[in-house]
Amino acid sequence: MNTPIQPPRWATRLLHWFCASHLVNDLEGDLLELFAQRVRTHGPREARRRYVRDVISLIRPFTLKEKPEKYPQPAFIQSAMIRNFFKIAFRNLVKHKLFSFINVLGLSAGMTACFLIALYVHFELTYDAFNKKADRIYRLSSDIQSSAGTLQYSITSWPFGPALQNDFPEIEAFTRVSKENYLFRKGDVKFNEENTVLADSSIFQVFDLKLLQGNPKTALKAPFSVVLTESAAKKYFGAHPAMGQTLLVGDNGDAAQVTGIMQDPPVNSQLRGDVFLSMTTHTRHYNTAVNDEWGNFGTTTYLLLQPGTDPAALSRKFPAFLHNHMGRLLQQENISMTLLLEPLRDIYLYSKREAEQSGSIENIYIFTIVAIFILLIACINFINLTTARSLERAREVGVRKAVGAGRWLLARQFIAESLLMSFLGFLLSVILSAALLPLFNELSGKTISRGLGQEPLSVGILFLASIFIGLASGIYPALVLSSFEPVKVLKGKLAMTGNGAMLRKGLVTIQFAISIALIIGTMIVYSQLDFMRSHALGFAKDQTVVIKPGTGNSRNALKTMLQNVNGVKSVAGSSAVPGGPNSQAHSKLENARGEMQIATLDVYRVDFDFIPQYGLKVVAGRPFSSEFTSDSTKALVVNEATVKLLGYHSPREAIGKKFSQWDREGTIVGVVKDFNFKSLKENVKPLTFRMLDPWNSDLLSVKLDGHNVKATLEAIETQWKTQYPDRPFSYYFLDEFYDRQYRADERFEALFLNFAALAIFISCMGLLGLASYATVQRTKEIGVRKVLGASVASIVGLLSKDFLQLVGLAFVIAAPLAWFVMHRWLESFAYKTPIHLWIFLAAALLSALVALATISFQSIRAALVNPVKSLRSE
Amino acid sequence: MKGTYLGEFEEVVLLATAILASDAYGASITNEIEQQMGRSVNLGAVHAALHRLEEKGLLSSRLGGATAERGGRSKRFFTVTMAGTKALDNIREIRNRMWSAIPKPA
Repeated sequence: MNTPIQPPRWATRLLHWFCASHLVNDLEGDLLELFAQRVRTHGPREARRRYVRDVISLIRPFTLKEKPEKYPQPAFIQSAMIRNFFKIAFRNLVKHKLFSFINVLGLSAGMTACFLIALYVHFELTYDAFNKKADRIYRLSSDIQSSAGTLQYSITSWPFGPALQNDFPEIEAFTRVSKENYLFRKGDVKFNEENTVLADSSIFQVFDLKLLQGNPKTALKAPFSVVLTESAAKKYFGAHPAMGQTLLVGDNGDAAQVTGIMQDPPVNSQLRGDVFLSMTTHTRHYNTAVNDEWGNFGTTTYLLLQPGTDPAALSRKFPAFLHNHMGRLLQQENISMTLLLEPLRDIYLYSKREAEQSGSIENIYIFTIVAIFILLIACINFINLTTARSLERAREVGVRKAVGAGRWLLARQFIAESLLMSFLGFLLSVILSAALLPLFNELSGKTISRGLGQEPLSVGILFLASIFIGLASGIYPALVLSSFEPVKVLKGKLAMTGNGAMLRKGLVTIQFAISIALIIGTMIVYSQLDFMRSHALGFAKDQTVVIKPGTGNSRNALKTMLQNVNGVKSVAGSSAVPGGPNSQAHSKLENARGEMQIATLDVYRVDFDFIPQYGLKVVAGRPFSSEFTSDSTKALVVNEATVKLLGYHSPREAIGKKFSQWDREGTIVGVVKDFNFKSLKENVKPLTFRMLDPWNSDLLSVKLDGHNVKATLEAIETQWKTQYPDRPFSYYFLDEFYDRQYRADERFEALFLNFAALAIFISCMGLLGLASYATVQRTKEIGVRKVLGASVASIVGLLSKDFLQLVGLAFVIAAPLAWFVMHRWLESFAYKTPIHLWIFLAAALLSALVALATISFQSIRAALVNPVKSLRSE
Repeated sequence: MKGTYLGEFEEVVLLATAILASDAYGASITNEIEQQMGRSVNLGAVHAALHRLEEKGLLSSRLGGATAERGGRSKRFFTVTMAGTKALDNIREIRNRMWSAIPKPA
């Protein structure tokens, strides 16, 4: 049997969608009846056509409009009632100005802090995320194992990229990137571009760097091709078009052509540069052999894998690859090597390898926790203050219930009030965030956001969050308030239930525990940084200016000239200065067992003046001396850590032992006392000093006598100008340079300090609200006590005691927690301050004092009131 | 304020309702008009007219029985009210008067 012919379903659905519910039934009946008749008379096709036409013809105003019910049900949302809710809420706000102020301010402070931290965390978590192919981009890193241990590099040598792409079809593309310091000139304009990036032309294939002008395929292909970022183009050419113009590169002034203009890369990109120079410039002109030197580690290689490639499977093929290409070299040097693929998105936050910029996932966790804590404190405030005030609202609740308000209706009223509050908090926090954003950018050292206008999504999320906060923190007070029994309330018999008081006290305790923990944390961070700044480093870093001259004779000439400048004590040349990067060399040294021990050691190439000028203490042997002509090729000075590495018991034993390093062989002539040439986060590593070669590019450290530094610097600049008329003069002070290593930690400290202050501020506002409420509740009690002869002091003590107990309890909870977390944090420093007991005592005292001050604001006033006033009220 | 003016289509619908007497509902009125006038009519137009006539008080409606053909959905029966009958009479009277005023061809 055939199924009866049906009208088109979509038309029926359309009818149900638009048609008013009281009409749809008989209209559909008519439609179906006509359809059935027309199938018989006109056939199914025509019937369907007419059916659709009829449905559409029914879309008329009267079919759309719902019929009003005869006895209307109370709607869930009634505009009159809602208006009344908000009117009452607003009146309450205005009536209790202090409470409202505390509430809204506390909430908005919490939301602002949370919002800013969320922006920061989002910024950090989305590092390099602008690359659409980020999930397929990997950094090629290498571990080099020798008998001295494993060295972890984030760099490889130049041949790796091309050879890998040649050997493995899984690799779609590679790009090599190295950051260099180049001198750029355009007429009289010259800049030392510290952010010059040498890159293969495939950089635009691998990374999503946007070229505004120029062809991404060819822009960086030919030698001496330059791609400028927009801001760099503006710097050199102003408003004039930069494309096709010529810049002079390097000390020799080779002409390079601008072949592209790039949109400035996002701030949270690891690949940052102002000027991009084609890699071929380096490989075909400056260092023509580098493409075949497997051992010359100096470039970062990024690989773009084919979609669907398993990086682990690819990594398993690397040992064979290394054996094919580098087997002999590795055997010669007696080292082994592992290649690793680091996913691009993980590098910034997780990789511990050396990088120009690195974030810390630990810090992200810490800040996220802090943000949640602060928001929690703000919400607790809100709940506390609202519930505490419930007594005042009890009569209102009673009357409303007596005239027929249901519990749910009342609950909705109070939730509406808290929504109003949180909305005000939201408005205030948007204003605060907008105002604080530049400060926050500066504090965190990053352009996290250019302004709230750029962040409509985040503001939207903040708005939703504020609604959620309003709802979440409004529910408890709403339930408490709406549960009052009208009879009792109206008789005036209601007292705060014990439960509610316990809960409020518990919440205050949590607030203070969080604040105290943050205070302790801040103090420990501060004392650690102070410790690092004041720690004796083992070398003289004061009054030293570092400049970077050229190589060879010009440097020696400048050195001689500077030594004669008035105000200069001495000048020393070296390849590195403490706090900066230095090279590492594959070295063989005779150890205590008489074997030639292989190790990769840090190297400082220095001249005769370096060791005396830096005040390094020679504990055995002698420093380099011009009296010994062999020093320039056959002598090595080491530090105590090297002596220890080689297994000697005393520095003296190491003197005269053999070494071989970078084409030099000879003996150890001296041992210097360990000094912190890296940051205090690390222990002092073995270090070797060797004489500087004239062709080494290096630094000059100029020791000043400290009188009239400005004039001396000007004199130095004059000398520089005569020696290097083409190059801009730049210098830095060694002590500032060294301390720059702690900049990230200082930011951490500053952020921590600010948020701890905010937390205690919000907690105090909560306490203030609660204390003033408690005082009002006890007005009569205070009056009676005063009449019976109590002193002001005893009443203040009575009122403060309860709250101080809570602060004490909070301290007991917070102290071990803070100790545990901060102990973990300190673990990351090789040199660390002990966690002193006084920090805890100070934090306890500070929080108690702040709490006391807050409470006494209210309690003293209450204690001073004339009892006649407080007792007369009935 | 809604006047009692009747449009041409409204008049037709009102007449069809009167013809069908106790069996006047959306579908039957539509059929009636189609048969009487020999042209197809949209159900929407019919219902719109019915709605207007009801608002003007010329028709009244009640919900009534369902048939299997209608998928078990009830019918809305329309009946012509006193005012409706009067309005029809009125129109007819005017028409008659006008017809009779046409001069007879000699």
